[in-house]
Amino acid sequence: MTSTVTAPEADEQHSSASGAHLVRKKRLFFPFFLPAVTLYVLFLVVPTIATVVLGFTSWAGAGDTPRFIGIGNYAELMGSDSFRYAFLNTLLYIVVGGVGTFLLAFLFTMVLRDMRGGKIVRAVLFFPNIVAPVALGMFFGIILIFRPNRQGLVNHLLESVGVDAVKFLAPENVTWVVTACLIWASSGFYITILMAAVDRIPPYLYEDADIAGATPWQKFRNVTLPLTWDVIGVAGVLWTISAIKIFELVFVLAGPGTYSPQIRAWTLGIYVFDRSFGTAGSPQYGMACAAAVVMILLVSVLVVLLRRLMRRDTIQF
Amino acid sequence: MRSTRLAALALTATSALVLAGCGSSGGSGSGGGGGALALPKADDFLSAPCPDVGTKPQGDKEFTYWSMWTADEPQGKVLSKAIRCFTDKTGVKVNVQWLGRKLLTQNVAPALNTDTVPDLFDQDISQVKAAVVAPGGTQSVEDVLDYKIGEGEKKVRDVIPATYYDIPQNKGADGKIFEIPYELLGNAWWYNKDLVKDFKAPATMNDLFALFDKAKAGGLAAVSQDGDINFYNAYFYTQIASRYLGPGGLEKVATDKSGAAWTADPNLAKAAETVEKLAKGSYLVDGWDAAKFPQIQQRWADGEAAYLFVGSWAPSETREYLTKQGGDKGLNYGSFQFPQPEGATHKVVEQLPIGFAVTAKAKHPEAAKAFIAYVINKDILAGIPAVADNLTPRAELAVPDDLKDVKAALEDPQAEHAIFMDGLDALAAGKWVDNVFYPLNNDLLKGKISAQQFVEGLAAKQAEFWKTTS
Repeated sequence: MTSTVTAPEADEQHSSASGAHLVRKKRLFFPFFLPAVTLYVLFLVVPTIATVVLGFTSWAGAGDTPRFIGIGNYAELMGSDSFRYAFLNTLLYIVVGGVGTFLLAFLFTMVLRDMRGGKIVRAVLFFPNIVAPVALGMFFGIILIFRPNRQGLVNHLLESVGVDAVKFLAPENVTWVVTACLIWASSGFYITILMAAVDRIPPYLYEDADIAGATPWQKFRNVTLPLTWDVIGVAGVLWTISAIKIFELVFVLAGPGTYSPQIRAWTLGIYVFDRSFGTAGSPQYGMACAAAVVMILLVSVLVVLLRRLMRRDTIQF
Repeated sequence: MRSTRLAALALTATSALVLAGCGSSGGSGSGGGGGALALPKADDFLSAPCPDVGTKPQGDKEFTYWSMWTADEPQGKVLSKAIRCFTDKTGVKVNVQWLGRKLLTQNVAPALNTDTVPDLFDQDISQVKAAVVAPGGTQSVEDVLDYKIGEGEKKVRDVIPATYYDIPQNKGADGKIFEIPYELLGNAWWYNKDLVKDFKAPATMNDLFALFDKAKAGGLAAVSQDGDINFYNAYFYTQIASRYLGPGGLEKVATDKSGAAWTADPNLAKAAETVEKLAKGSYLVDGWDAAKFPQIQQRWADGEAAYLFVGSWAPSETREYLTKQGGDKGLNYGSFQFPQPEGATHKVVEQLPIGFAVTAKAKHPEAAKAFIAYVINKDILAGIPAVADNLTPRAELAVPDDLKDVKAALEDPQAEHAIFMDGLDALAAGKWVDNVFYPLNNDLLKGKISAQQFVEGLAAKQAEFWKTTS
C-alpha cells in the first residue's frame, strides 16, 4: 500500500495532469484506508492480542479482574487429559478427514469431468454445505441409532442385507463416525473448488491424452493434478482452517447435545467452549484463551507446512 | 440451554432437557403430557385469588429477578402468578427476565462485578454455589427464615424442614445459607407397576439383583440407561458409595491431593463391585451405550426394560414422550431407593434443592427477600405440584402421585441427606469429573475395567489431576 502512495510523488513533476489525478487519489487514500484498517484492528487484531494476553491470566469474565498467572494455564493444558484428547482428535480430523475429503474430491473430479449432467451432480454434492452442522449432527444421530427390533435407517439397511447392526454411536466408534460424516459433508465444497480449476484446463490437453490412449488415472496424474496444483494448495489451507474449528458436529453427535460429550471425543473447539460456557462454576476464560492460542499456533504451523509441501513452480498454460 | 448463545443447540435442547431442566421441562406436560388429571388442578391454581403478603417491603418499590425458567414452562407460569400477585398486594414492581437454565454461567456470573446485577435469581444449590457463591456473589438469606409468609404468624422456618436448607452445600464462606429452596429434586429407581408384577421393594443388593434377574427371565431388559449422559452413568456408583461414606464423604475422597484415599478405604472398591456386577451381568439394555438421550429412557417407557434410575423428573419426561407418541397409555409409575449395601452404615437419600438467592450487590434486597417469603406461601407454592408436577420442600402440600415414594424417602426421619453425586460434579468447575471420574466410571459401567482397576485408576488419575489443576 505504502509503495503505491510514495512512488507517485517522484513522478509528479513529469505530468501535471496525472499529478493532479494522483493528488486526488492520494487524498482519497486515507478515507478508504482508515475505516477498513480500523475495523480490522478493532475486531481482529485487538481481540487476538487480548486472547494471547488473557491466556496468561485467570479470568472469570466481564467485571472480574484478570489475574496474571504466567504459563499456569499452559501447564494445566499440557497436564490435562481432556486437552490431550481434544488436541489429538482435532489433528485426527484435520489429517484423516482431510485425506478422505480430498481423495473423494479427486475421485469426483476424475469422473465428473466427462460425465453427462456433471454440473447437476456437482450442485447436488454441494448441498450438505448449505445445511448447518448441528442439523447434520442431529440427522446422523437419528439414522445411526442402534436399537434392536427398531433400528435406525443405516442399521436397518445393514440388517436387511444380513449384516449385523453396528453400534455407531458407542464411544469407541464415534470418532470414526464423525470423521466419515465430516468427509461426506465437506467433500462437496472441495469438489466445487477443484472442478472450477479443472474447467479452466484447455480441453485439447485431454483430447491429446485420449489420442495417446491415456487411462483416466493417467489423465488425472499427468494433466489434472499438475494443472490444478495451486488450487489444491489453497483448498488444503482452507480445509485446515475450517477443520481446526470443528465443534457442532462432534458436540451433538458424540454427546447428548446439551452437555459436553465425554472427553475422549473432544476437539479443541469443544475444549474452548466447555471452559467458557460449559463449566459447573465460573467460566474459565483464561484457560479458554490459552487453548485458543494453541489453536492459532497449530493452524499456523500446519498452514506453513502445507504451503512448503505444496510449493512448486507454477505451470503456465 | 434456552439462551440465545446456545440457540444453535436448540434443536437438541428440545429433545434433551436434563437435570434441573428436566426437573420441570417435562412438566409442560401439565399442559401437554399431564393428562386429564393435572389440567383442571393447574387451571384452578392459576385462576385462584392471590394470598396475602406476610412481609411487606418498606422502602423498595421494585426489584429485578433473573429466572432459570422460561415464562411459558410450568414453573414459569407459577412464578408469573407469584409476581403478579406480589405486585398487586404490595405495589412493588418486579422486573423479571426469563433466562433459562444457563443463566448462572451466561448471565449472573459475568454480571457479578458490574453494577447491573439482579437482586434475585434462582437455580439448584450446587450450581449456585459453584458459579456465584464461590466468587462471593451472594448475600446471606438467613434473615428470610424469620419472614412471615402470609399464613398468620407462620414464618419460613416453620414450614420448610431444615434438612433442605441447613446443609453444608447451601452455605457460603461465612457459614450462612445462601438459598431458600422452593422446589426439590430427588433420585430413584423407577418402574411401571403394570409391567413389573408382584413387586417388592428390595432390602438388600441381592434383592435388587434378584429383581433384575426376574425381569430378564421375563423377557425384558433389566435396566435402561442413557449412556451418553456422563452424570447419569455416575449415579450408580455415587449412590452406593455414599451409603458407605455418608454425605460429603465422596467429596472428601475426591479432593485428596495424593489420590491415595481411593485405595485406603476398601469400601470404595466394594461399592464399585456392585456397579461391575451390573455391567458384567448384562443387566443394561442392549444399545444403552450407543444412543442419544432420551432414546433409552424412552425404550423404558415403551416397556422394553423394567427399571430406570434417574431423578424425580422421570415421570414428567416420559409422560410427555408417551403423549407425543399418541394414545392415552400412561404408565403407572412406581419408585424405590437403592437398598443399603452390605456393611454400609449411612442411609443416604440424594436431593437437589432449587431455590432463590440474593446477590451481594443487590440494590433492592428487601423487596427480593419479601418476595421469597411470599413464594413459600402455601397458596403460591401449591403451584409447583399442581402446575409443574414437582416436589416442594413443604411437607403439608399435595404431592403428585408419581412422586409420593420419592417424597417419602426424602422425609424419612432416618435419612441422611446428600446432594446429587455428593456435589462431585462441581469440583474444580467440573474438570475433576470430566478428567478423572467420568472416563473411568464409564469404563466400569461398560464392563471394560474391574472394581479394583477403577479405584486404582482413580487414585492415579486424581494424583495427576490435582498436580496440574488449580
